[in-house]
Amino acid sequence: MRLVKLASVTKKITIAAVGAFLLVFLPMHMGLNLCIIRDDGGEWYRNVCHFMGTNWIVKIFELVLLACCLLHIVVGVLLTIENYMARPVRYQVPSRTKTHFGSKYMIWTGGLVFCFLVLHFINFYFVKYDLVEGVYTVKTEKLQMHIQDRAMDLQKSFDEGKIGQEELSEKMMGLQMEYLSFFQLMQTGQPAEKLSRDGQELVNLDRKSLEAFVGKDFKDYEPDFYTMCNNLFKDRTYSLIYILALIVLGIHLFHAVNSIFQTFGLNHRKYNGAIEMFAVIYAILIPVGFAVVPFYVMFVR
Amino acid sequence: MNLTLKIWRQENAKAKGRFETYKLENISPDCSFLEMLDILNEQLVNKLAHPVCFDNDCREGICGMCGLYINGRPHGPDDGVTTCQLHMRRFKDGDTIVIEPWRAKPFPIIKDLVVDRSAFDKIIQEGGYISVTTGGVPDGNAIPIPKKNADEAMDSAACIGCGACVAACKNASAMLFVSAKVSQLTLLPQGKPEAAKRVQAMVAKMDELGFGNCTNTYACEAECPKSIKRSNIARMNREFICAKVCSEE
Ligand code: SF4
Ligand code: FES
Repeated sequence: MRLVKLASVTKKITIAAVGAFLLVFLPMHMGLNLCIIRDDGGEWYRNVCHFMGTNWIVKIFELVLLACCLLHIVVGVLLTIENYMARPVRYQVPSRTKTHFGSKYMIWTGGLVFCFLVLHFINFYFVKYDLVEGVYTVKTEKLQMHIQDRAMDLQKSFDEGKIGQEELSEKMMGLQMEYLSFFQLMQTGQPAEKLSRDGQELVNLDRKSLEAFVGKDFKDYEPDFYTMCNNLFKDRTYSLIYILALIVLGIHLFHAVNSIFQTFGLNHRKYNGAIEMFAVIYAILIPVGFAVVPFYVMFVR
Repeated sequence: MNLTLKIWRQENAKAKGRFETYKLENISPDCSFLEMLDILNEQLVNKLAHPVCFDNDCREGICGMCGLYINGRPHGPDDGVTTCQLHMRRFKDGDTIVIEPWRAKPFPIIKDLVVDRSAFDKIIQEGGYISVTTGGVPDGNAIPIPKKNADEAMDSAACIGCGACVAACKNASAMLFVSAKVSQLTLLPQGKPEAAKRVQAMVAKMDELGFGNCTNTYACEAECPKSIKRSNIARMNREFICAKVCSEE
């Protein structure tokens, strides 16, 4: 039974090709993550996040990546349903055939990785697009300018006669209070963390204090993933979930790497050993590389 | 040996099947598995009951008719043999043996343990042959064939079309069977001219008949009585990609 009128081999190639792209992406992501363990107060990591968050090539890459993930999932689910329908009556005795490790559970390991991805998106990716609250970094200069701009706007409205004297002084007072608390913040560094990048002063704020200073329409900030990462991984439960997800991912990857070669017909007596070896190394190295971060944050930092 | 058999009984394709339990006593360990079923059937006939229907023909591992799913494995617990080559010494006295027919949508049950495997024939009809033209007999040595190719083609040709690969596969995929047939012909010069057309047609037929999609679990390879290798599937994938990309057919 076919849900989509494409040859089975075509579907297989699609899921493999997209998977191959994801396999290229993983080491990159891992490399970026590893910047966090450099003891520089997060300078590298923040720069990397800044680059990833602002570069337009990265943005395009991101879109392609999302599309690939989606396609991978859709085709995977489709294949699973079709395959289930190919055997309407199941066997009474469960199969005792020895099979390739992990190969039987691809949809399950994939499903678990997907669940983890949802969590991961909520924790990080959605923060980037301001859908979920995180910790935000703002240039202090920008903050200052923003407050001044708002004061000038008020003055202008008054000059044009849009607001009365009373409203003006009331709002100006509010702004002054904001400025004062901002100034205080700059002096004490409380409750926010002060940083510097490229010789500029930056400050870390949560959403509430950010909005208190600059209002809801202020867009000149970026999430501070360094602080967020550290906070998250200090939580043992979260780290445990993260590490478990990585183990599941490793199982998924082991079969994935092997499968890609088989699906593209890259099977050759001379290289099969090397391919198997590569699959093992890849499936171990990637999860271990990612797991370094929670371990480092929990036990070293 | 004393055995308990749980066997799938089903009147016909439409009927609802069920498991029946039978007790067998004094079975010699030297009995073959099918002989053991013969003994059971004799006893059933003597009791005026319907014998258990099961497919078989050559009883020496050649024809591929004797497909039975025994205790969770096609052709039983031995590797690289058909059911007819399986002997009762592989089981222990007092064992319970569960016997099921091949389960796959394209293999409908005819009766009891007998399934209709003509789906395989339909795939072969789509291109599992070479179109022979008439003419003089060519000189035997006119077309050089590398020994390795000849050997590999021979290995692939060992497939007896038993369907154990489909039965074993969690997806009921026929990739090992089809790829063995594709490989056997593609590896030799006689099969080359029609290679691109063949692989596309056979894959299309396989899909149309309702076999599942291969997910590289290699249960087929593990259960194939003729040890057909998964490299055949890789070769077929390669042929398929080449055909789709390069061929105009
Ligand atoms: S490939 Fe092996 S298991 Fe499949 S039909 Fe041929 S002989 Fe039987
Ligand atoms: S009866 Fe012919 S292979 Fe078993």
